[in-house]
Amino acid sequence: MKATKLIVFLLVAALLVTACQNPAAPTAAPAEAAADGVPEICKTDAFGCAVFKPGDVLKIGMGAPMTGGDASYGIDISQGAKVAVQDFGDLNGFKFELVAEDDGGTAEGGAAVANKFASDPAVVAIAGHVYSGATSAAMPIYEKAGLPMLSPSASLPALTTMGSSVFNRIVFTDARQGPPAAEYLFNKLGIRKLAALHDGSDYGKGLAEAVVARFTELGGEVVVTEAITKGETDYTPVLSAVASKGPEAVYFGGYTAEGAVIVNQMKQTGLENVVFFGDDGTYGADFLSRTGANGEGAFATIAPIPADSPEKTAFDAKYLELFGKEAGSLSPYTWNGYDCTAALISAVKSVAVLGDDGSLYVPRGALVTAVRTLTEYKGISGTYSCDATGECNTLPPMFVVVKDGAWVPAP
Amino acid sequence: MNVPLAQKSPPRFGRVQTVLRPLLGAALGLFLFYRLYNVIIVQHEYGPETWTRLLIAGLIIGSVYALIAIGYTLVYGILFMINFAHGEVMMFGAYSTLFVFEAFKAIKVGSDPVLTFSNAYPVLAILIAFVVGMSVSALIGYLLERIAYRPLRKAPRLVPLISAIGASIFLQNAAQLLFSPQLRDVTNPEVLARGSGWSLMVNGSKVILPYTGVFTFVLSLILLAGLYLMVQKTKLGRAMRAVALDKKTAALMGIDVDRTISLTFFISGALAGAAGVMWGIHNGLVYYFVGFIPGIKAFTAAVLGGIGNLPGAMLGGLFLGVIESVGPAALGLDFQLKDVIAFALLIIVLIFRPSGLLGERLAEEKL
Repeated sequence: MKATKLIVFLLVAALLVTACQNPAAPTAAPAEAAADGVPEICKTDAFGCAVFKPGDVLKIGMGAPMTGGDASYGIDISQGAKVAVQDFGDLNGFKFELVAEDDGGTAEGGAAVANKFASDPAVVAIAGHVYSGATSAAMPIYEKAGLPMLSPSASLPALTTMGSSVFNRIVFTDARQGPPAAEYLFNKLGIRKLAALHDGSDYGKGLAEAVVARFTELGGEVVVTEAITKGETDYTPVLSAVASKGPEAVYFGGYTAEGAVIVNQMKQTGLENVVFFGDDGTYGADFLSRTGANGEGAFATIAPIPADSPEKTAFDAKYLELFGKEAGSLSPYTWNGYDCTAALISAVKSVAVLGDDGSLYVPRGALVTAVRTLTEYKGISGTYSCDATGECNTLPPMFVVVKDGAWVPAP
Repeated sequence: MNVPLAQKSPPRFGRVQTVLRPLLGAALGLFLFYRLYNVIIVQHEYGPETWTRLLIAGLIIGSVYALIAIGYTLVYGILFMINFAHGEVMMFGAYSTLFVFEAFKAIKVGSDPVLTFSNAYPVLAILIAFVVGMSVSALIGYLLERIAYRPLRKAPRLVPLISAIGASIFLQNAAQLLFSPQLRDVTNPEVLARGSGWSLMVNGSKVILPYTGVFTFVLSLILLAGLYLMVQKTKLGRAMRAVALDKKTAALMGIDVDRTISLTFFISGALAGAAGVMWGIHNGLVYYFVGFIPGIKAFTAAVLGGIGNLPGAMLGGLFLGVIESVGPAALGLDFQLKDVIAFALLIIVLIFRPSGLLGERLAEEKL
């Protein structure tokens, strides 16, 4: 008796499972498929087409920390992206728009923002996300929705090894940021005893581990590796413990909010003569204003500031005029924000089809492929060709140091 | 209603407990002893200068916890409710400091273009920061009681608790909308610059005793002592204790119960405000979420010391601060685990001393 019940239950369950899977079958064409004037490609595209009636706006989504201690990144990158929309955001009278949503840089925030974008049919592509943790949470959601991503700044190496077909990035990875930082510490600064701190985030931890591995390989000694709790304002206990190991430099994998507190408190915990070496997450104007004199001599690795070109000069002038700040003063990724948005817009333009009914059709599957196969795209901060995993940048990082209250290229 | 838990439970449970508790205690004791012995004596991880630094950091943060914990304990003693919005009251104190110091930074004194009011008259500036911060927080504490708790005085005990959580979320969001969600830095007058302090030589290394930290510690001890004297010696203190003991009888004796409760919230708000000002001066970072974690920690401290017990809350606060700071190093664990250590300690204390380190002081009526 019980066995039959169990079998019936299993059968019903199986039925429900298969029933639920059906609507997600990858041939779902848009509702307008039957109407006249629908381009042929929309009927064959894996994800169907996004349809825009005349006057509709094509949205480029961006998930970034817009509030909290790391807000300068989200604000800056979205502003760079807005300039790109101004420059290129017109396709036969259809306008583009950048929609930047606050994901707080966290995994939960990233997933929430991704769900919001995935349910908005006007969103065609994602310029982001900005932080790695948020990106890795958002990726599977965009994968299902067929939304291509091109991140200006998510540098966690693992992101391109997860087999995602939608994720691409134009930032160098931490695999290219960490080891050179270790080499710089060892060779240029002559550091032999290093303390590695990180904030426990995917990004910070990955970076610190990469530095530790390379530094040990070079023959240096990593005297202590410690994780700190994100979002605190008092790190004197952990810094005191670090000081007792006598490091010559402290490497920190993490962001400005914690990095600035650490730099300030190094002075009162016996680390006053120790070099602080940060990453692209601790660079920026916020770090300078928050650390003041304590920040003098702090290092960071950043995406190379692009060489001067007419395009860069035009962008910098426009950025200054629109937002009242020097481009690149808030974060090193202004130009990347501009480039990835411009590249996405150009990819959309390359696949979009104007239907006979006057509507614009953007085949989503074809767009995903177009972004992944981006070749020789010339942006402000470099020329990008994406490989099969979505890695579009192979440039090494640049080293900067705080001197007289400003970030300058390190010798 | 007044039957203690032990009598209600079947005797078997009691027997198991009497066997298990010492066993658990012995196991824990052995483990702790082994870890401490290993880390401190055998591996000799840290020298005396590091222990001193850790202890200093712990005592400073502990004194802030103690000030906030007093607010939890005062309110709990009188109303038998946990004022979960108390951390947010502290947050407004921290914001007040930010605004007062920003204002004084903007005022120039005399013809000197760099001499600001806060550097010219630091004592006055700090005094005003405390007056403003404590008044703002006291007012918010008072309003909280009037708006969120008093209408629910007769409701079941869980209702004001939910109201408190709601008030906490409301205050956080209000601060976020009013002051923007960005982190802000408090600029201290130069005499209290963060990071500067007295240098002690311990074991041949320089240990800095920060001015802001000593200031925070001493001031909170003074405030706590003042409060204790007030509760023990003044008429208002006597009224508070009477209301805590038995509201009805206190009312019959001519005590204005509502007024006493309002004043209790006012005083606990003022203390949280002082904690907020000290937070602003010592830690220097202010944002809308800044009160939440210290609030939870202070609640833990109050339970640790025995909720409803004033010296218990002070002791619990200092104890928790020191454990948080010294614990990870002493046990040879990652510093990220300091909250785990703090809350594990709470659980252990509650297993062996369910009424806290110094014991609860509750009137019979409330059990």
